[in-house]
Amino acid sequence: MSYEMWTEKYRPKTLDEIVNQREIVERLKSFVEAKNVPHCIFAGPPGTGKTTAALCLAHDLYGEGYREYIMELNASDERGINVVRETVKTFARTRSIGEVSFKILILDEADNMTADAQQALRRTMERYTETARFILIANYSGKIIEPIQSRCAPFRFTYLPREDIVERIRYICKNENVEILDDGIDAILEISEGDLRKTINILQAAASVGKPINAEVVYSVVGRANPYDVREMIIRAMNGDFIGARDKLREMILKYGLAGSDIIRQVHREIFRLNIPDRWKVKLADVIGEIDYRLIQGSSEEIQLSALLAKLTEAGHEIKRGL
Amino acid sequence: MYIPWTLKYKPKTLSEVIGNRAAIEKILGWIREWNRGIPKRRALFLHGPPGVGKTVTIEALANDLDMELIESNASDYRTADAVRRIAGRASEYSTLFGKRRLILFDELDGITGSADRGGVRIITEVARKTRCPLVLIANNAYDPRFSTLRRHCLMVEFKKPSKTEIVRHLKRICIHEGIEAEESALRFIAERSGGDVRSAVNDLQALAQGKRRLTYEDVSWLAGRDRKEAIFNVLRMIFYAKDAETSRRAVNMADVDPDMLFEWIYENLPHQIKDPKELAATMDALSKADIYRKRVRTTQDWSLISYFLDLMTAGVTVSWSRRARGWTPFKFPDRIRTLSSGKGERAILSAIGMKIRRRCHISSVRAIKEVIPYLKVIFQNNPEMARGLARWLDLDDSMVRYLSEKD
Repeated sequence: MSYEMWTEKYRPKTLDEIVNQREIVERLKSFVEAKNVPHCIFAGPPGTGKTTAALCLAHDLYGEGYREYIMELNASDERGINVVRETVKTFARTRSIGEVSFKILILDEADNMTADAQQALRRTMERYTETARFILIANYSGKIIEPIQSRCAPFRFTYLPREDIVERIRYICKNENVEILDDGIDAILEISEGDLRKTINILQAAASVGKPINAEVVYSVVGRANPYDVREMIIRAMNGDFIGARDKLREMILKYGLAGSDIIRQVHREIFRLNIPDRWKVKLADVIGEIDYRLIQGSSEEIQLSALLAKLTEAGHEIKRGL
Repeated sequence: MYIPWTLKYKPKTLSEVIGNRAAIEKILGWIREWNRGIPKRRALFLHGPPGVGKTVTIEALANDLDMELIESNASDYRTADAVRRIAGRASEYSTLFGKRRLILFDELDGITGSADRGGVRIITEVARKTRCPLVLIANNAYDPRFSTLRRHCLMVEFKKPSKTEIVRHLKRICIHEGIEAEESALRFIAERSGGDVRSAVNDLQALAQGKRRLTYEDVSWLAGRDRKEAIFNVLRMIFYAKDAETSRRAVNMADVDPDMLFEWIYENLPHQIKDPKELAATMDALSKADIYRKRVRTTQDWSLISYFLDLMTAGVTVSWSRRARGWTPFKFPDRIRTLSSGKGERAILSAIGMKIRRRCHISSVRAIKEVIPYLKVIFQNNPEMARGLARWLDLDDSMVRYLSEKD
C-alpha cells in the first residue's frame, strides 16, 4: 500500500484519463486543440470530477509545468471581496509568457463567494480577459450571479454511473493489494452516494484497518468517521433526548465548524428517510422550512436549530402516542 | 437527590458560624439576660447584608441552647392578626416538653405595605411586651419604616466575613465532597461573592459538583459576570414566575448582560422543562427572541430590544405549566465554556485543514468535514500508513498527536 491520499494518487492527470463526463471532456479537448479557453462554470454534485477536469485541462494545455500558469483559489477559505481585489487581480493582470497567451484561474467552491465579491469578480473577468481565463467551480450554478453566468460557458457535471465507480474501486484495490468483498463495495456505494472523492476516502480508511474489506468494516469506519452524524442527532431528539441531541448539535457547530445551513439541509434529507408516517414527514418539512428561514433572520444558528430539535422531540413524542 | 450545599453545610452550632464573633457574643449575652428575668431590651434586631449568616446563627443558637424556634418569614403572611397569633402562641403557652421558646421574625424587609398591613406596627408592639425572647432580622435596619421598632430593640450588626474565612469554608466543603480544588479557584469564588457566603457556596456547587478537580480555569470564565441579584434567583423568577409581568421584571433585577442572561435561560430550559410540547413552545419563544435580537443589531434601533427581552422572559414563562417537580439545580451555560475550550481544537483542525488543502485541491473547511474524519480512522488503525501520510501532508507532531488521539 502506498502512503499518500488515494484521492490524489488516483486523480486523472490528463483529459484522456478521465473516463466519465464524456461530452464535457470532448469539448475541453477541443479547447486544448484551439489553444483557447473561454471563461467556464463547472457545476455539479461533489466528487464528480469538476476540479479534476479543470486541472487536466490545464495540464493538457500547458504541459507538465502547468502549475506555473494556473492559480487555484478556494472560495470557502477566501471568500471575501479583498481576495478578488488583491490576489485575483494581481494574478489576472500579469501576462503569461509562452505559447498560450493567457493563464487560468480556478475558483473552487465559487458558490460560497459573497455577493459583493462576485460583483467585483465580474469586472475583473471582463477587464483581464486577454490575460486570464476563469474556471468557476460550484455545486449549484444558481448561486452564481447572473452577470457572471452569462459570461461563462456552462458545463453540467452529473453523477458517475454505478458501474464506473465499482470499476474504479476494483482498480484501486488491485493496485494497492487490498482485498474487498462484494458487500463491502455495496456498503461504500450506499454511503458515498455517487461522490467519488468520498468513495475513495472511505476505501482508504477501510483499507487501513488491515482486514479484507466487507460491509462490517465499512460501516464501522464510517461510524467512527462521522461524529457529526445528523441522523444520530435526529434520532436522539425524536426519542425524547433533547439534551443529548443538543450536545450533538453543539459538537457539529463548535468542533467541526459545520454551517447551520448545511446541518438543516441534511436534517431535511434525513427526515424523508425516517420510518415515520408520511404525513409527519410533510409536517416536519414545514417546520424545517420555517426554521431554515429563521436561520437567516436570527442571530444564533444554534438557538434556531435547537428550536428545531425541540420540535422534533415533540413530534417524536406524538408519533409514539399514535397521533 | 439534589441537596443544596447551602443546606448540607449549614452551621449546626454557633461555633461553626463563619466570622462575626463579636456579634455572636453580644447575642449570647442578651439571651443569658433572659435567664435572670425579663431584660430591658426584649427584642434583638439582627441586620446585615444577604448571605452572611444571620438566620443560620439564630437557628444554631436555638439548637445549642435547646430552645424551640418559632419562625415566620416573608413566605408567610404577616398581617397584624398573623403576627399576633404567632407572638401570642409563643408567650402564652409553655411547650409540650417544657422547652423555652425563641421567636424569630425573618426577612422584615419583605413586609409590604399593602399585603401585610399593620405588620410592622404590631411587631413593634410585640417587641415591647413579649415575654419570651424575640429576634428580628432584616437587611436594611435603617429603613424609615423600622424607626420606632429600632428604639425598642438591641441592635446587632452582622458583617461580611473576610475572603479568607469564606475560602476556609469552601475548602471544608471540598474536602467533604472529595473535590481537589485549587486554592486560586476558591479565592476567585470567594472574591466574586462579595462576602455573600450563601452565593459563594451556591457557585461552588454549580461549578464543582460531580467533579474530582476544580481548577482556576473552570471558574475564571465567570469573571465578567456582575451581580446585583444572584443569577439563580433571576432564573427562578423567569421560569417559575406567577405571571408575565413578574417574569419581565426579572431582567431588571439581573445585572447581567441580556445576551448572557439569554444564554442562561437557553442552557437551563431543557433541564427545567421536560414535557415535549412545552419544551417546543418555550424553545420557539427563544427562537423568536433571537430573531428580535438580530433585528436590533441590523437596524441599530435599541428600542426594539424590549421585544427580545419579552420573548425570552415572559415568552418562556407563559409557554409552560410551571409545575416544579422537585428542585432541579440551574446550570452554568455550557455553550460559553465550550466556545472557549473548543478554540484550541478548532485551531489545530484548521491547521491540518490547510495542509490537506495544499495537497488535495479542496478547501480547508471541506477538508475538516470530509477528509479529517477518515484520516483519524487511519491514524488510529494503521501507524505505518499514518507515518507515510504525515510525511506526504507535511504534518507536525502536534497534528499527528491530535489525529491519533481517540475521541
